Formats: sequence, C-alpha cells, structure tokens
Amino acid sequence: MILENVMLAFGEILTLKTLLLMMTGVAAGLLAGAIPGFTIAMAVVLTLPFTFNMPPSQGLATMVSVLVGGLSGGLMAGILTGIPGTPSSVATTFDGFPMARKGRPGLALGLGVWSSFFGGIISAILLMTFAPQLARIGLEFNPWDYFMLVMFALTITASLAGANMIKGLIAGVLGLLVRTIGEDEAIGMARFNFGNDALLQGFNFIAVLIGLFAFSQLLSDVRDPKLARKSLMERTSMQVRIEHLHALREIAKRWTNVLRSAFIGTFTGILPGAGGSVANILAYDQAKKASKTPEEFGTGTPDGIIAPESSNNAVEGGALITMMALGIPGDVTTAVMLGALLIHDVVPSPSFISDEPVLAYSIFLAFFLATFMMLFLQSFMLRVFILVTRVRMYVLAGVILGFCGIGVFAINNVEFDLWTLLWFGILGFVMRHFGFPLAPMILGVVLGNIAELNLSRAMAITTDLSPFVTRPWSLFFLIIAVFSAFFPVFQEQRGKKAWTRYYPAALATCAAPPLFMMGGLVRPTIGTVLLFLAAYLVYQALQKRSAA
Amino acid sequence: MSRINRDTVIAIVLLLFSGVFFWASFDIRQPDYGTLSPAAWPRVIIAVLAALSFVYLAQSIRRGPDEAPAGEPPVRGIGDWFRKWRNVLWCFVLFFFYLASLPVLGMLIGGIAFVFLLLNVLGGWSAEKLALHAAVAVISIGSMWSLFTFGLGVILPTGIIFNPFG
Repeated sequence: MILENVMLAFGEILTLKTLLLMMTGVAAGLLAGAIPGFTIAMAVVLTLPFTFNMPPSQGLATMVSVLVGGLSGGLMAGILTGIPGTPSSVATTFDGFPMARKGRPGLALGLGVWSSFFGGIISAILLMTFAPQLARIGLEFNPWDYFMLVMFALTITASLAGANMIKGLIAGVLGLLVRTIGEDEAIGMARFNFGNDALLQGFNFIAVLIGLFAFSQLLSDVRDPKLARKSLMERTSMQVRIEHLHALREIAKRWTNVLRSAFIGTFTGILPGAGGSVANILAYDQAKKASKTPEEFGTGTPDGIIAPESSNNAVEGGALITMMALGIPGDVTTAVMLGALLIHDVVPSPSFISDEPVLAYSIFLAFFLATFMMLFLQSFMLRVFILVTRVRMYVLAGVILGFCGIGVFAINNVEFDLWTLLWFGILGFVMRHFGFPLAPMILGVVLGNIAELNLSRAMAITTDLSPFVTRPWSLFFLIIAVFSAFFPVFQEQRGKKAWTRYYPAALATCAAPPLFMMGGLVRPTIGTVLLFLAAYLVYQALQKRSAA
Repeated sequence: MSRINRDTVIAIVLLLFSGVFFWASFDIRQPDYGTLSPAAWPRVIIAVLAALSFVYLAQSIRRGPDEAPAGEPPVRGIGDWFRKWRNVLWCFVLFFFYLASLPVLGMLIGGIAFVFLLLNVLGGWSAEKLALHAAVAVISIGSMWSLFTFGLGVILPTGIIFNPFG
C-alpha cells in the first residue's frame, strides 16, 4: 500500500515541469534565505500566488522546494559576512564566520551545505515514518480534543514567540478575532461586517498572511532611509569554492553530532511554534555540552557549524509531521502550506494521509528531492547571491511590494483582497514596531475557524462542558497548554525562585493521569515512566535544596 | 508621551477595541437553530482579549515611563516624526493611491507607476536614477504582469486607459 502510494507520488512529481519548478523553487529559496531581512516564510508566502493554477501536488512541491532552499540559504550570508540570512542560521555564524575569517570559507560552506543535506534527509525519513503513525493517533481525536489541541498550539506559540508572553497571547487572540469577521462557518450568520458587504466573505486569509508577514517586513526593511539606500551587503566580493570532499570527511568523523542535531531539529519542529530559530541555538548548545573541547566553540570549530545547520533543516520535516498528521501548522511557513492545501480544497486533518495518500506522499517525496536539489544548486546560487547582494534594499523592497499587489489580486480576482493586504500590512508593521510577535497572530488566523468548528461540533453533541476535562486527550492538551503558558515565567525565574525547581516534576506528574485514562498498554506505561521521572526530579530538587 | 509609556496607550486602545467588538457582537443575528450561537465564540475571544489587555495595562503602568531607544535621536515635534517615518509613510500613501487608481490605470500601468514613484521617493530623483528606476519598474512589473496574464491565465484589472483585451 505504502509502496503503491510512493510509486503514484513518483508519477506526480517526476515530470519535467514539476522538477523544473522545484529547481526554480530551491534556487529562489536559497536566495531568499541568504538575504538578511528576507525570511523563509516571506519567500513561501510570495510563492503561493504562482501555485494557484497548478495541480495540488505540483504547487505544494514548488512551495516545499522554496522552503528547503530557504532553510539552507541562510548559511551563505552567515558564514561569509557574519550576518545570519535568517533567524534559523544565527548559531551558524558563531563558528562559520570565524572559520571563514581564518581563511577556510570553502570548508565552512561545505560543512554547512552537507550538514543541511544530512539534517534534511534524516528529517525526511522521520517525516515519512512518523507522520502516518501520528495521524493514526489523531484519528482518535474528538471535537473537544481538537479544540484543546488548537488552544495548546496557540499558547505554546505565544510563549515561545518572544520575551513578552502577554503580547504573544494578545497577538494570538487578535488572530482568532480576525477570523470571526464575515459569515460564520457553521450556520452562515454575518458577523462584524459593520454594514460592509465586502466584509461578509471575511478577510481572505492568504491576503492577511502576505500583509502581516511580507508587506510589513518590507516596510521594516526600508524604514531607515540611509540603510534602505545601502547595498544588501558590503563584504561579499570574495571568490569562494565549496570544499565538498574535505567537508564530508569532517562530517563523517562527527556523525553523532549530525544525528543528535537532526533529532533536536525534528522534535523542535513537531512542537507548534518552536521553529528553526529555537532549534539551531538548542542544537549548538547541546553540541557544545557534548564536546570534549567546548572551549573551541566560537573560534571556528566544525561541530559549531554542523549542529545548527543539521538542526535547522530538520525542523521543517518535524513541522510538516504535525501539519500533515494533525492539520495543525508547526510554524508560520507550514501555516502558509496549510493555506496552499485549503486553496486546492484539501483540508488537512488526521485523515488527510489516508484520504489523499498520493498528495501526502508527493509532499514527502518533494521534501526529499528538494534536499538533493539544494545540494547541487548551492554552489551555483553562491555566485548569484554575491551578485544580488549588490542590489540596494529599497529597489528589492519596491519591486516585491509591486509583486505583492499582483500576487494577492490573483488569489480570487477581487480588489478587496488588495485593501486587505494594505490594512494588514500596516497592522503587521505597527505590531512589529511595538514588539508584538506575528507568529501567534498568523496561527490564530489559520486555526481560528478550526477551533470554532470543533467547538460548534462539540456543543452540537452535548452542551455539557465536562468532556473538555474528562476526555483524556483534551485534558492532556489542557494541562500542557497551562504549563506552556507559565513556561516564560519559569525560564525567567529559573534558579532564582524555589518553585522553579519543582516545575518539571509538576509537569510530568500532571501529564501522567490523562495517559492512564487512555488505557491500553503503551500509554499507561509512559504515564508510569513520567511519574517515576517526577519522583526523581523532586528527589534531585530536594537534594539541591539541602546542599544549599 | 514622556509621562505615560507607549504600552499603556496600546493597552487602552486594545481595551477600546474589545469594547467596540463586544458592542458589535450584539448585532449578530441569533438563529432559531444550532446549539452554539454565532456570537458565542467571538464573545469568548473578546473576553479573553479584554482580560489580557487588562494584564498588559497593569504591567505597563508598573513599568513606568518609556526610556529613549539607545542609538536613536529623540523625536521632537511632528516634523521630526514625519522625517523618521517618511519611507514607511511613502509606502503606505503610494500603495493607497495605487489601489485607488486601479479602476482607471489598471494593474500594469498602475503597478509600473507605483514601483517607479516608490523607487524614486526611497532612492532619490537624480537623472541617472530616474532612468534606472524606470527600467526596473517596467521590466519587473511588466514581466510579472505578463507571467500572470499569459502564463497563468489570470485576468488582472485592465483599467480604462490601457486595455489589451478591449
């Protein structure tokens, strides 16, 4: 069955047109990821209008290619200039740039490219293995569970999105509110249209995403008149050849680092909200802790490049697992991918992989193939990247703003969408300026109707609210949502206040009962392990307390 | 603004915004069927937004007045404010006029004019730059317009000045 689906997916993807589109997508992603100020999410959002007229598998393969290219593009800027192209490659600069300054830019780039490749491949294998398994668990979910899962996704995104949790939560709730404007999905009653007929259809959420993310980012890029007139980067005139063989030899000596970092990346990607920006720092930190020579980190050690690059490419595989198995986007880029699926009338849910196996396996395959394409295109795109960095920021921003207009109109051929783009562009810019994270708002917009539909279904079954706390999965998501809401406070006061010593133990203890309620053998066993872990953590905390 | 910090202002705006939406939620018609009223979910969201805005307001009041951002000169008067934000304001204003003029200019001419004007106000008006900006605007918007019109079959707004299909 799986083999049959893989063969059918091969038939969908291995056409000349799709492969060419994928190559173009990877190249565009590499370039977008390499340019500081341009994010991967923005590149994926701007690709969306091109895919409207394509068959779903072709359109999604193109978007996955942009995503994979973008994940690897950040390393070029980070290593050659010390300025990370994307937040996902911040840690790459810690050792990549020093190594380049020591006269080994070719080796640094080689390590980055091959680590990205291996991270992507490991993540693709995990995606193909775990997404169908997780989808099977997702099939157990009832509307109460689904509603709580969305609440958990929003809470954890808000708590991980920035320093100020309240701003993150406000952004998430604003996203939910934006999605209520227009006719409600359950029975079609007009809401918050303020007498305007155009608002009856609600805001087109792709226009909202492009406005919030791309338009507002471009405005931020040209905000400073002096910086806007400068070239994107000043120091990229060097001639570099990527040292592939040498890099491969170095990576072979450090394969445990590659594996560990790829697993960290995939797991971080599975968690809603925790994207590449978290994973690359986490993997770098773990590589440093595991190293026999931690003092070499920051001076240009290969391990310091391998860890962040393996992990940041693995993140999207993880985020795609959550999106394809549960219909919950793991981050902004997968939120856009989810939007792309909706445009093609495919609703991601736990039954997505079983209902649309060919499309699902086409996405798996595209992720896999795009990782190979990235490897071959990287050397060529390095030259293009050096050329593009001579362009001035205002030229690039002006042209892309013009393109945003055409792209957004093409969604529905409705002028109102262009006004949506403008208003949400302004809103996104104002929110960025005042320190509100945009990721929770985007997730709120994407997940708003899923939450309401499931709440509506739950209420149609029974008006009793107790299933939210008596159903095991719903209770499980509620507990981890509450703990994730307190996570920023825990992080801030860790080591300073006594209660923080017991926080992990409390989480393990509270997460165990729903697992016992689920029945069977595996889940109660996990619950028992969690209880033992909690007891051990409390014992450790008490020991530390008595030692102090 | 020196006495009140900007977070306090935003929190008050958010509370007013919640109030307006809560009031507007009473205009939502209640049907005789369905278990969950169409106004219920929005009201839950508004209640949560108002509660979070109160917490934000309390936090902002406790924090005290704003400190000037490091490395940036203080903004004195409206002239300074306009100078600081002129690029962003130009983008808003030009995009607004681009959209407002679409029924007349259409997307091709309007798009080229928008990009050309935007590049000039952001990058300068010297003769050399005028030529460069004109070329960039025509080539970029022209190729994108052609790709969508002829390649993807999207009918973009034509306007009344230039209608290649009219």
